[in-house]
Amino acid sequence: MSGSSKEHIIKSYDDELARLTGEIVRMGELAATQLEAAIDVVERRDERAAQRVVANDDAIDQLEQEISHDVVRLLALRAPMAGDLRNVFAALRIAADIERIGDYAANVAKRSIPLSMVAPITPTSGLAYLAELAAAEVREVLAAYGERDADRAYEVWQNDAELDDAYTGYFRQLLTYMMEDPRNITPCTHLLFMAKNIERIGDHATNIAENIWFQVHGEPLNAQRSKRDFTSSPELPHLGDKGKA
Amino acid sequence: MTESAPAVAAPVPQAVAAPKLKVRDLHFYYHGFHALKGIAMDIPEKQVTAIIGPSGCGKSTLLRVFNRIYAIYPKLEAKGSIELDGENILDPHYSLNRLRSKVGMVFQKPVPFPMTIFENVAYGIRHHERLSRADMEIRVEQALRSAALWDEVKDKLKQSALGLSGGQQQRLCIARGIALKPEVLLLDEPTSALDPIATGRIEQLVEELKSEYTIVIVTHNMQQAARVSDQTAFMYMGELIEFDSTEKIFTKPSRKQTEDYITGRFG
Repeated sequence: MSGSSKEHIIKSYDDELARLTGEIVRMGELAATQLEAAIDVVERRDERAAQRVVANDDAIDQLEQEISHDVVRLLALRAPMAGDLRNVFAALRIAADIERIGDYAANVAKRSIPLSMVAPITPTSGLAYLAELAAAEVREVLAAYGERDADRAYEVWQNDAELDDAYTGYFRQLLTYMMEDPRNITPCTHLLFMAKNIERIGDHATNIAENIWFQVHGEPLNAQRSKRDFTSSPELPHLGDKGKA
Repeated sequence: MTESAPAVAAPVPQAVAAPKLKVRDLHFYYHGFHALKGIAMDIPEKQVTAIIGPSGCGKSTLLRVFNRIYAIYPKLEAKGSIELDGENILDPHYSLNRLRSKVGMVFQKPVPFPMTIFENVAYGIRHHERLSRADMEIRVEQALRSAALWDEVKDKLKQSALGLSGGQQQRLCIARGIALKPEVLLLDEPTSALDPIATGRIEQLVEELKSEYTIVIVTHNMQQAARVSDQTAFMYMGELIEFDSTEKIFTKPSRKQTEDYITGRFG
């Protein structure tokens, strides 16, 4: 039970809770748009546009501060209970996750500047696919938040494995390029960091899904998700050893 | 493809103390009005149990049945059973004197007797026991100390209790209640007439007293129920809707009616 469909006796309390939800959705929209804009500047190699994306992160930080302020005010003045309490608590945590998503999007835009200063390389296009998956995840989890739909959030949580798989595949691809030609090392290293940023965006989307689950059910999401990012595992095939065995 | 969502884990049963009061199928009638409808609950020993609910839900009635205060009025009738340590206190053979020495009560409005502070506490003790003057002084001091009032009144024990502040008067009433060494202490909205500082003192006192007594508190102040109690019961229209650990009631109640009430959506 994520609260009741009935209105509060004090109407302004409903308005304040609705405002909080609206702020979160708006903040999430901004973060998803930032990610899409960041990928766009990577592809266009547009330094000035990249700087605009980095500067726009301030708007997300500003919204997070407004949400923190609203949460503190709600806790102090309304003393929310039960479902209301979980709504307010989840909003605070979700806002922190969206703020991190915004930071990662800005990081991607920031790295596109040095990347645009070297000759274009083929694997850059693979980054867009990762970003597309991550942005879709963020938008979907926000829709689940807006509707208080825990099952929809759970689906996002499950589907993050796809982004992990794509990231692992991209990691291998970049390694291959670096081994082929040491001149690729600088751009590929930037791409690797950017890809990791995007993979982390997916993890924050799953955090948001977990908070939605808690908000609705009052229980943590106690399920095991298959973590598919194997790039930090020693089992990752050593591409350089190929053929030596 | 996604797997189906995991089921929400069943709540873990909380370990609670042995029941001091066992209420079973309790019904209460005021001149034919069915005020309590089949209440069943176990009040755990040496813990604080809060009863919340809107006006007229029967919470104060339930509290009053716990020490049969209704017995002085005609046409009031209780059916069912309330066992105090295994004995049914609703049984007419269970003497009121014995019950009142085991179950003390403090009301919403402090009502000190128009006598000295000392006599306010000693009065009830004399009714039940014969003590020497020295023993009585020790007993009164103990009660006033337990009620966190001693330091404020020790130099004016011979003064009228009517000169005390509202908060002090309420603590005097609690001292009067615990002077009889009851096992159960019933508090009926004990702080509704007090300012926040006096309220804080009473709440602190409740926390201290629960190591010795089983406490049942009726309150309209939900934050107070959340602050002081271990268990909370939510009543509505004479029925016990939900009874669970206070933490559960205020974070994840099971019943929608409880949720609506504690989140201010009632009515």
